[in-house]
Amino acid sequence: MSWNAIDRKTVPAEEMGPGISEATKEKIRSFFPRYPSKQACMLPALHIAQDELGYVSLQAMRDIAQVLELPPAAVMDVVSFYTHFWTHPRGEKMLMLCRSLTCELLGSEKLRARIEEKLGIGDHETTPDGKFSFMTEECLAACDHGPCLMVNEKMHKCVSVEDVDRILDDPASDRLDIPRSDTYDAPPKA
Amino acid sequence: MPKITIDGKTVECRENIPVLRAALEAGFEVPHYCYHPGLSVVASCRLCLMQMKMPHPKTKELDWAPKLFPSCQTPVKDGMEVKFDSQLVHNNTNHVMEYYLINHPLDCPVCDKAGECYLQDYTEDYGPATSRMVEEKNKNPKKDIGSQTLLYQDRCVLCTRCVRFTQEVAGTSELTVINRGNRGEIDVFPGEPLENPLQANVVDICPVGALLDKNFLFQQRVWLLKPTKSVSPADARGSTVYIDVNDDRVWRIRPRFNEKVNEWWISDESRFSWQHVHSPDRLNIPMIREESALRPTRWPVVQEQIRAQLNTVASDGGSRVAIVLSPMMSCEEAWLLASFVRQSAPQATFVIGYVPVEGTDQTFPKGFVISAEKCPNRRGVETVIEQAGGPSASWDEFLTKAGGGEYRFALVTGGYPKAWIDSTLADTLRKIETVVLHDVWASALDDHLWLQLPSATWVEREGSFMNADGLVQPFDRALKPLDGVVGDGQFYYELAGHQGLFRSRKVRELMAAELPTFGEVFVPREEPEYAH
Repeated sequence: MSWNAIDRKTVPAEEMGPGISEATKEKIRSFFPRYPSKQACMLPALHIAQDELGYVSLQAMRDIAQVLELPPAAVMDVVSFYTHFWTHPRGEKMLMLCRSLTCELLGSEKLRARIEEKLGIGDHETTPDGKFSFMTEECLAACDHGPCLMVNEKMHKCVSVEDVDRILDDPASDRLDIPRSDTYDAPPKA
Repeated sequence: MPKITIDGKTVECRENIPVLRAALEAGFEVPHYCYHPGLSVVASCRLCLMQMKMPHPKTKELDWAPKLFPSCQTPVKDGMEVKFDSQLVHNNTNHVMEYYLINHPLDCPVCDKAGECYLQDYTEDYGPATSRMVEEKNKNPKKDIGSQTLLYQDRCVLCTRCVRFTQEVAGTSELTVINRGNRGEIDVFPGEPLENPLQANVVDICPVGALLDKNFLFQQRVWLLKPTKSVSPADARGSTVYIDVNDDRVWRIRPRFNEKVNEWWISDESRFSWQHVHSPDRLNIPMIREESALRPTRWPVVQEQIRAQLNTVASDGGSRVAIVLSPMMSCEEAWLLASFVRQSAPQATFVIGYVPVEGTDQTFPKGFVISAEKCPNRRGVETVIEQAGGPSASWDEFLTKAGGGEYRFALVTGGYPKAWIDSTLADTLRKIETVVLHDVWASALDDHLWLQLPSATWVEREGSFMNADGLVQPFDRALKPLDGVVGDGQFYYELAGHQGLFRSRKVRELMAAELPTFGEVFVPREEPEYAH
C-alpha cells in the first residue's frame, strides 16, 4: 500500500480501557422497561457507565453495545456526538466553568484566574495527581445565578473567588443527593 | 401512472418513487449525493432541493411555495408541479457546493475517483470557481478500515451512503459517523473493521474519493478504462458486472444494475474474481503426448486428433466415452461440444462436471444472496445435457465408474479459477486410458494426459450463463485470449464443423431451434446514474 494510514482494524489491549461491572450492566437492564426499545436506552446506559468509570472507555462501549444488542459503532456514534461523555480518563473532579456572557459579566474570569493559579493547570488539562480536570463550558443554563461552576455533576451557583478555595478544598464538593443517572428520565411516581 | 410537471415539461412516471428519481429517469440532471435507490432516504446532502407548487394557505390557490423541498424525499403525486431550473434552486446548489468544498483537499490529480467523481462534476456545473476559504482546512489521517478499503476522510461529503449500506444491505453496521458538525467523520469502531462479504460496494457508492479500493489504489485513471458488460462467474447467482479493461488487462470489476438478481451490488468474490486471469501459471500451449512426453502442437492438429480418436473409441456407439461438461462453460460451448459428440458417439456419457460448493447460501437483510455454489452455469450445462439425450451421469457416478475402469476415453473440461485436480482425483482419472483435459491450470494428471488444451477464462470468452433461478444472461468478451489460446467457444465451434467466427448470439439462434429456453436472454434494464 502506498499510503501511510492509521490502522483501525486492530486495537492494543491497553487502549480498550476498563469494562463496566456486572452490577452496572444490571442497572442498565433495569432501565429497559422505561423505553420502547433497547437502543432508546443508550443515553442512560452511557451515564451509568460514566458514573462508574469516570469516562466511557472503548471496552465500556463494547459492553454497552452487548447489553443493548447493538453494533459497538452505534455506541461510539452517540458517545462522540455529546461533549459530556468522556472517552479518556479525567481527573476525579471535573471543574466546568461557564464562559458565556452572563457569567463573564458577573466575574467568571476572576474565578478562572484563581483556579489556574491554585491548580497550576489551564483549560482542558488535568493535575498531575489526577485529582482535578478543568475546562470551560459555553453555558451551564443557570444565568440567573452566575457565575457558575460545576464540579462533576454538582452545580455551584453565585460563586465568588473565596468560594473557589472552599470548593477546591471540600472533598464533598461534587456530591449529589442522588446520582444523575438515577434521576435520568425517571418514571412518574405512582 | 402519475403525471408530474418538471420545469414546465409534463412527464409520466412510475408510482411511489421520489421526484428526484422521476426527474432522473426522465433525463433531467439533478445533483445529489445522499440519495441512492437501494438505500433509505435521509435527505441530508441538500443538493437536490426543488421548488414545488403548494396550495396557498389563505387563497387555497396553487402557487410556488417560498421554501425549497428535498426532491429525494418527496414522493410523486399526480398533477404535481416542480421546478429545478430556477434562480432559487440554483442559488441553493451553489451555496451547498461551496460548503462541500470548504475542507476538500482538491487533490484530484492523485485521486482514484477523479473522472467519475461527483464532487468534480457538480463543482464544474454548480460550484464556485475559486474558494473564499482563507482559514486552514480540517485535516484527518487516512484510515485503514478493512481488508479491502481505505478511508480518506478529507474528501468525504458525509452523504452516509456507506453507513446506510453496511446497516441496511450488508446488515453488519461496521461504519458510523462520529463527532458532529464540521468535525463529523466516518469511522469504524477500533478493532471492529469493515469486514463483510459485500464490503467493497461502499467504494462504488461513495460519490467522491473518500472510500478507496486497496486493489485499485493508484492503478489506473478511470477515463482510460473500457467497460464490458459481463456476468460474474463467482457464484451461481450470475450477478451482472462491468469489467473495466485497459492495455489488455483487467483492472477492476464493478456491479451492473440488475433488477432480477443483484440490484446495485456484487459480492467481493465477484469483484475480485478476475485475478486468476493474469496469473503467470496459466496454460497457453496445446500439448499432445508423443513418445510418452507432452509436446506442443497446433490447434488444427488437436481438432483432427480428437475427431480421429473419437471415431476409433466410439466405433461401438461410444458407450465407453465420457464427456465432462464443466459448470464453468457457457451454455453455447456446452451445446456445441455436446452436439459434436452426439454425432460421432451417440452412446457417450455426458457428465456434469465438478460443482464447487462452499458452505451454505448467505442471504443479506435486503435480499442479496451469495450462493454456496461457486460456479456460474450448472443449470445451463444440465439443460444442455438433458436436451442432448442419451446416457448422462453425475460427477460422483462418473468418478465411481472411472475408478472401476469403465471408460476408455474422456474429455474433461475445467476452467475453474483455481487448480482443482488433486492427487486423489488424478489417481481416479488415471484409470481412463485416454484423457483430454481442457483447463486453465497444470495439474497432477499431466503425466497421464493425451491432450492438454489451454482454456480461456470467461473474461476472454463470450456466451451466456444460466443462473440458479434459470435466468439466461449473456456476457461479452472483454479481452482477447492469452497468446496461444483459442477461445473455448471458437474451438468447439470449429470442432462441431462450423466455419468462421464464433459469435454467441448466432449460436444461441441455432440452439433455440432445439432449446427454446436459450432463444431469449435476459438483459437488465438501464438505470439512470445515481451519482454511482
